[in-house]
Amino acid sequence: MASPSPDEYEIHDFRLLTPARLARVIFPLVACLLALCGCGEDVAKTDPHAELATAWDDYRSGDFNAAVHKFERVRAHSKEGSDDYNMALLGLATTWDLRRPDEDRELATTYYRKLAEVAPKSEVAAWGLFALARMKHLPPVGTNPDYPAVRAAYQDVIDRFPGTPAAEEAFLYQQSAWLATLSKADAQSAKTALENYLQTHAGTKYRSAIYDLLASACRILDLPKERLAYSIKALDSIEIDPTNPKRDKAGAYWRIASEAEFRAGDFDTARKYYNLLIREYPIDQRVFPAKLALERMDATEAKIRAELQGMSTTR
Amino acid sequence: MKKTLGFIKTYFALLLVAAVFLWAAFVIASYSRHEIKPGTTTLRIAHWQLEPGVRKALDVMIEDYRKIHPDVDILQDAIPESTFPQWVSTQLMGGTAPDIVELGQLDAATLVAYLGRYYVPLTRYISRPNPYNKGTDLEDTPLRLTYKDGMRDSYVEELQDFMKIPLTQFGMRVYYNKDLFKKLTGLDEVPLEYRAFLEVCKKIQSQKDSRDQAYIPLVGSKTHFAMWDKAIFQPLTYGGLKKIDFNCDGYPDKDETYIGFITKRVGMGYPPLAARLKMISEVRPYFQESYTGLSRDDGVFLFAQQRAVFIISGLWDSQSFRDQASGKFGLGVMEFPTPKKDDPEFGRFMPGPRYERADAGLPFGVTRTSKHPETAIDFLLFMASKDQNAKLNRISGWLSPIKGSKSEPELEVFEPHLQGIYNGMDVDFGGETGIRWSQLFSLFQIGQISQEDLTRQFDDFFQHQGKVEFAGRVGTWRRDAQRYEQLLAGMRATALLAPAASADDAWLRYRAANISRQLCYELAKNWQLAILKQGNAPGVIDPYEYSPEALKAIRERIAGKKETGQ
Repeated sequence: MASPSPDEYEIHDFRLLTPARLARVIFPLVACLLALCGCGEDVAKTDPHAELATAWDDYRSGDFNAAVHKFERVRAHSKEGSDDYNMALLGLATTWDLRRPDEDRELATTYYRKLAEVAPKSEVAAWGLFALARMKHLPPVGTNPDYPAVRAAYQDVIDRFPGTPAAEEAFLYQQSAWLATLSKADAQSAKTALENYLQTHAGTKYRSAIYDLLASACRILDLPKERLAYSIKALDSIEIDPTNPKRDKAGAYWRIASEAEFRAGDFDTARKYYNLLIREYPIDQRVFPAKLALERMDATEAKIRAELQGMSTTR
Repeated sequence: MKKTLGFIKTYFALLLVAAVFLWAAFVIASYSRHEIKPGTTTLRIAHWQLEPGVRKALDVMIEDYRKIHPDVDILQDAIPESTFPQWVSTQLMGGTAPDIVELGQLDAATLVAYLGRYYVPLTRYISRPNPYNKGTDLEDTPLRLTYKDGMRDSYVEELQDFMKIPLTQFGMRVYYNKDLFKKLTGLDEVPLEYRAFLEVCKKIQSQKDSRDQAYIPLVGSKTHFAMWDKAIFQPLTYGGLKKIDFNCDGYPDKDETYIGFITKRVGMGYPPLAARLKMISEVRPYFQESYTGLSRDDGVFLFAQQRAVFIISGLWDSQSFRDQASGKFGLGVMEFPTPKKDDPEFGRFMPGPRYERADAGLPFGVTRTSKHPETAIDFLLFMASKDQNAKLNRISGWLSPIKGSKSEPELEVFEPHLQGIYNGMDVDFGGETGIRWSQLFSLFQIGQISQEDLTRQFDDFFQHQGKVEFAGRVGTWRRDAQRYEQLLAGMRATALLAPAASADDAWLRYRAANISRQLCYELAKNWQLAILKQGNAPGVIDPYEYSPEALKAIRERIAGKKETGQ
């Protein structure tokens, strides 16, 4: 075998040092190392439950790509149908459904449906089915909901997961969708359904919301006194989130007082709620208007009294 | 020598780059050396309060904090207001943001997005007592309730979390040059009644200084006019609420105002709105000429030069005005002039004083990239404690937002009026109508267009363009609902993952958020569309107008009482 000429050696050495050659050797090595490190982290270090929590944190803070990545990772390392797997699937579906921009409603639907397949009896699947109904109720901007399909989707949740919180919410949204037509016939049937629901679900945690919907039905049906009574019941059973300073009873006091004064003509009730607002929320913006309202009602009564007095004198 | 020059000439660009690099490396190294003292935790706090009082106050806070935490070092980054938004965005995105950052100077949507992505939620600290209130009457009070406003503005509805800790409370009043006022009017006290105040302005304007220039009664500029508008003109629109507050929540919103205008229930000629424009036309002659084209600083300059008597501003300017007046003139602060209840023109639109919210200001948040978030929050709690916060605000010359804190006597005039009337209609619509309004209103402010022309031209324009814009807004309703759905899904997940001990609370929060906003959102919006469709036909009653059924019920009740002798 002939030995290579010095030129050939030179050429050979030079070729060994080309960036392309270096890259061909080094990159796969680095990639292998990174992959090993990554896998090691996944398998050894990640607690799926903690990973899920941080994925949802990412979702909440709007870092959807990170959320998807983490949900995928948990799903890949959990047993199909396990709690972690189901929660990761719900996370993926929710993120693709509600991320803006770059949502993928089709993919979200696939995940929601898969959830119902792999864990048909789980609470998470109930919420997945409920989310599918919500997706129908909130179609892309520029298109209108297909209301019969929306109501049917809510009914599906009610039928497949009776007694669950998801089914309760589905019922409320279903009735709300009926009321949203503002038709008297729909309002009447919703009112009946809501009243029946209260009879059969005494322990519901949505009592206040049901009374609120009933008050809305009465507004459509032009029943001011019944509406006022339901609004008061809604307030009496309201659940206040103690951590939210923007949701207090001040708004409800003002609304009930206004309803009582201007629609029902029930000044005693109006005075009671205007005074509650003044007493319990002294720095609320509506306190001064509430005081003006108390004066206005006195003046209105005095005027009517004088009119009636005048009429009886004339007679 | 020639060789050296030649070398420099050849490699000038390279040498310049090297020199800049070395200088930058030196600066960074010296900054880092200061930052990283062995055995200490170093925090950085960034804000745009360049007033000397505030920086000094923060220095005192840092010093006091170090007395109890000697291992913590805190550095101030005071960034000019004009560059703060860009600076903070770059820092946050680059992951190099300071530990504690003043929040603001960004539009609301961007701020919410930043808060969600780059800041630490503070909710878990809000319901606990502030440990630095130990030994005070607020010792056992949850942090939130130690604030006069209950920290309402610290809560970010979109994130369902408290995100900021505010440290002060601002107010807005009229500052004036006491000596100049006395010299030009012969009066000791400024009249607070609107008509008498205008008379005083007239008298001031009729006199000239040594350079034969007329004195200016009121400092005007784009910024100052906006403040006057908010303080004395806009409250006259309070009565608009009874026409357009269709959901009866006591607040006017943009959609309601659109509906009010489209249905012609209101227009620019509607008495409360007309009263606002009328008052502007009465006051505007007392601003300096061409004031709408001037900046805030131009206005302040006139006041500092003693050419103008009155200037409107906030408590944030108090210290700098005092410094400018020091040794030159006496500085007074007064309430806003208000029409009397029996004022023939404006009395009926002004049934009370102007309402002022006790909102806390100077809010700070803690960034997610902070290496010591617990220490950063602890420092904020320290500054929010009753005694320390009083000290901070005493040095800054501001008001404390903490309950029970006494203001300095000269600051009492800034205490907010917690009862009164407020803006009943915001006609700054945005979109094309907003641009049209802004054009016409600017011309009106300088008297180049009459109130009648403004009213006619705007109402004509709105009847076409307003409808187009409102149709566009309806599309955004669903977008809003989807955004809220995104939030609710996150809250639901929190509840599903919560440990048994906190699951009930998490579900309660979820239900409350769901019911209070989303459940009836579509219904509420459909009501608005129904009101729009209904128009202003005869027999249509206003939100705060007695219905015939209500009047009947009242009559029957009174008649019944009379019959029974009650």
